[in-house]
Amino acid sequence: MKPAKMKSIGLNAVLLIFSGITILPFLWMLAFSFKTNAEISALSQRFLPRHPTWDNYANALTRMAFLRYFFNSLSYALVLSVITIYTSAISGFVLCKYRFRGRKLLFGMILSTMMVPGVVTIIPRYSMMRALGWLNQFQALIVPSLFTSFGIFMMRQSCTAVPDEILEAARIDGANEFYIFHRIVLPMLRNAVASMAIFQFLWAWEDYLWPYLMIRSESKQLLSIALNMFSGRFSTDYAGLFAATSIAIIPVVICYLVFQKQFIQGIASSAVKG
Amino acid sequence: MKQLTQRAISLVLALAMLMAACGALAEDSTIIGSTIQYDTSKPVNNGEEISIEFWYWTGADKLFQAVADEYAAIHPNVKITLVENPYDDYWTKLPLALQGSDGPAIFNVHNSYHENIIGYMAPYEIPVEDLEADFVGVSAHIIDGKVYYTDYGMMTATMYYNKAMWEAAGLTEADIPKTWDEFREVAKKLTIRDENGSLVQAGFSFNGGAQGDVLGMQYQYGQNLFTADNKVSFNNDAIKAVIQRMKDIYEVDGSGDYNFGNNSGDNFGQGMIAMYLGWGFMHGLFQALWPETEFGSFEIPTPAEEIPYAYHRYNGESTFGVNKNAPAEQQAVAQDIVRFFLANDALQKRFVLANSVFPAKKSLAEDADIMSVSSIAVLASHIDRYIWPGPMPSAVENNMKIALEDIFYNGADIETALKNAEDTCNMELDGSEFVSVEPSYAYASEAK
Amino acid sequence: MMQANRRKKNALRSRSEIILRSTVAAALVIFFFAFYFIPILIAFYGSFHLWNPLKGQFKYTGLKNWQTVLNNKLFWFSLKNTGLFSVAAVLARIVIGLLLASALFSRLVKAPSFLRTLYYLPTITPMVAVAFVWKNMYDPQFGLLNQLLGTKINWLFDGRYAMPAILLLTVWKDFGYAVVILLGGMYSLPMDCFEAAEIDGANAMQRFFGITLPLLRPTVIFIVITSFISYFQTYIPVMVLTQGGPGTKTHLASYLIFDQAFSKYNFGYASAMSFILFIIIAVLTGLSFKASGKNQL
Repeated sequence: MKPAKMKSIGLNAVLLIFSGITILPFLWMLAFSFKTNAEISALSQRFLPRHPTWDNYANALTRMAFLRYFFNSLSYALVLSVITIYTSAISGFVLCKYRFRGRKLLFGMILSTMMVPGVVTIIPRYSMMRALGWLNQFQALIVPSLFTSFGIFMMRQSCTAVPDEILEAARIDGANEFYIFHRIVLPMLRNAVASMAIFQFLWAWEDYLWPYLMIRSESKQLLSIALNMFSGRFSTDYAGLFAATSIAIIPVVICYLVFQKQFIQGIASSAVKG
Repeated sequence: MKQLTQRAISLVLALAMLMAACGALAEDSTIIGSTIQYDTSKPVNNGEEISIEFWYWTGADKLFQAVADEYAAIHPNVKITLVENPYDDYWTKLPLALQGSDGPAIFNVHNSYHENIIGYMAPYEIPVEDLEADFVGVSAHIIDGKVYYTDYGMMTATMYYNKAMWEAAGLTEADIPKTWDEFREVAKKLTIRDENGSLVQAGFSFNGGAQGDVLGMQYQYGQNLFTADNKVSFNNDAIKAVIQRMKDIYEVDGSGDYNFGNNSGDNFGQGMIAMYLGWGFMHGLFQALWPETEFGSFEIPTPAEEIPYAYHRYNGESTFGVNKNAPAEQQAVAQDIVRFFLANDALQKRFVLANSVFPAKKSLAEDADIMSVSSIAVLASHIDRYIWPGPMPSAVENNMKIALEDIFYNGADIETALKNAEDTCNMELDGSEFVSVEPSYAYASEAK
Repeated sequence: MMQANRRKKNALRSRSEIILRSTVAAALVIFFFAFYFIPILIAFYGSFHLWNPLKGQFKYTGLKNWQTVLNNKLFWFSLKNTGLFSVAAVLARIVIGLLLASALFSRLVKAPSFLRTLYYLPTITPMVAVAFVWKNMYDPQFGLLNQLLGTKINWLFDGRYAMPAILLLTVWKDFGYAVVILLGGMYSLPMDCFEAAEIDGANAMQRFFGITLPLLRPTVIFIVITSFISYFQTYIPVMVLTQGGPGTKTHLASYLIFDQAFSKYNFGYASAMSFILFIIIAVLTGLSFKASGKNQL
């Protein structure tokens, strides 16, 4: 028992030190958010603010329609996450479990779209949206992202862990494929769904250039664009940026906490089943 | 009784000042401006309701709010929607928006992006002669007899110095250097090293972004930046001399070091370095971020005592652009806002002070408030000796940056680095329609 | 044998399978054609032109852009940089990810959910904000890094250290990604294997290499391939830390592409570079699928 305990303490210490080093830049940013721009740019730096101030937070909230952007971003990220998780899961399942002509080609082509730098395709996509009359509309953000190569790839890999025998057994019991996917496969993919939710939410939340080009009216603006408004031509309002960033990451943390729990619960339920 | 007279006098004085400020020679108080005039009593869009979008970039919100507010006060029927944009990506979104019919009617312009937006701009309705009568530097902006935007101010580089360090080194106003040789002596005096010989205070630093300064100092030797066929010229004796001098200040004089701070502007504000060559906008930044650092300015030194071909390069801060694809009635309002802005000295002054630029409007050339800004005041005696090469594509600065870093940090020799940069830059400029306006500089004939 | 079995079963495909399969396949074809292939084809067509969409310029120049790219020493140098950078970043991501994920997965760790959340913080903090902090840490005079290491290195302006400095920021920013996916994978593994192994007296090392790693194979392959694809297209850390400097020491291929497209507006030239990069990534991805075994594709 004793060496195991020693090991445990050692491991915990190592992990704690590592996490300390890891989050140092993050904590630094958090500390900056309570300083004035003058203190941030000063020569002599100390970690804790000399005269802690909430002004940056107050300014961030009042400088722009922060709350409105916040809720716009929240609904965009939620809607997009739900849609792409579903489309990725069902596409991943089809590409993994069915054998049909052109399957490999289709998967290869989906994967290859990840490999062309978006820098050169963004303008042609913009022209398409204009031709469709979708500029400044919510569907310009959603429709071009209905499917994601990343998600399809991820779900396809996860489906390889679903044993064919289970599917066959269900088929013999007379289940149709829709039932099999929704009631058997999807629950088994819960950890992949949780991982994907964590990322998809984050990416939608952070997504900047495309929404910026698409959205014109202030009432539809997203928070990520507001965060970029702190950088001016000559200088950046770092104090304001850090405060706004500190608020902006809260939903992402919550999303993370919610879906990380899935992993643990997933294991508990499979243990019961097993 | 005494009070009353005092009040009367101050009233008269105020009125006089108001009239002077408006430049109102006519009795009609609704007209502002000198040659370019704006009649505030004239309705716009026949007094009917209209709304337009006005795009600008972050950092200038108060200025644009002022324009919108003052204009709306005169024309309540016009609703101006100000749309703020992040600076970098504004230059992607704006041209794309201008291609359609629903782009902003009026927008803020920076001449670095001239090529991408000029095709979407409508010429000013104000006659060119009127513009030239009120503003300097208009000639460089005339395209086929028309002006699409011009400068409200000229920004250039001046030398900033830390007053406390200056005094501590026993220097006085009389020591302000005129030539680079004098400058180097002063820089040595302002340098402090500890017992191990490590720098504690640099006399001068150009670390981080010297390309903007180097591209301009070759004019002091009479060397233009562009050749007659609009190719860039880096690999010439003038630029080599400029870079060699920069190296010597660090390596021979020991007045600075490549690794002593990476951002000389910030480092000057922070009190690490005594002298810094910076552009006008730094004045406001120093005051905002490092209020404890007391600083003064002097004009950029020159190789010899006499007046050079040009002291340095300037870059204009541009007036607004009007979208030629916007509906006609929106364009009419936009043109009206432009006229209002150009005729209005109070707004011009606000824009000039906010960016610490030398005013392009002639009526403001001797304005006391503007001339109290040290970095502007030092330019006053020969502002005509600053040259604008035209709206340089970013490839010019980018390639000079690479050359300078190769020389200063990677040990490349000056000749090779400049030659590489010049070749790459000219390759990249191949598809550009850039035309140098150096030939339209007043003293162009003095170039070598 | 298995193969033959499967074929037989495939012959008896149900109607519902055909409906599901055809609907999904059709949706995928339509979607990717409309929103990916068309823009990609336009960009490809653009690579044969002097192309600046912002001012509406589109002038046929034949193979000129391609020739310029192939003769551009900086592009090849950037590709070499990109290759080295990607290999190092992927390795770091996998190794750190596996170490941390298995530590968090083991029952030895106190407060795993707290630690997990800490590890995810760098991933979610926007680059615009952390870039400033990292520049501060790399400062030659006052930077935390020099203070910790007792060195006097000018990290971002020394050709030997600038690339590692960019790598360090990238690894810091991204390792949370691998931890999340690997943890998800580990929690999906059948528990009975571990219990059986524990009873058999296998130690932690043996369990990791003997059971965990082989079972995690699809997950690891997924991370390696997606990481390679994304690291080959990295430019943001370069943009925020060095702008490719000192000189051209930290130029990555995608930084060059970004710079040509959105700072110099040579979209045709940027496209030509993009497609060369695309070919390289596609070949490498194909090879890694091959190397990872038939079953994966």
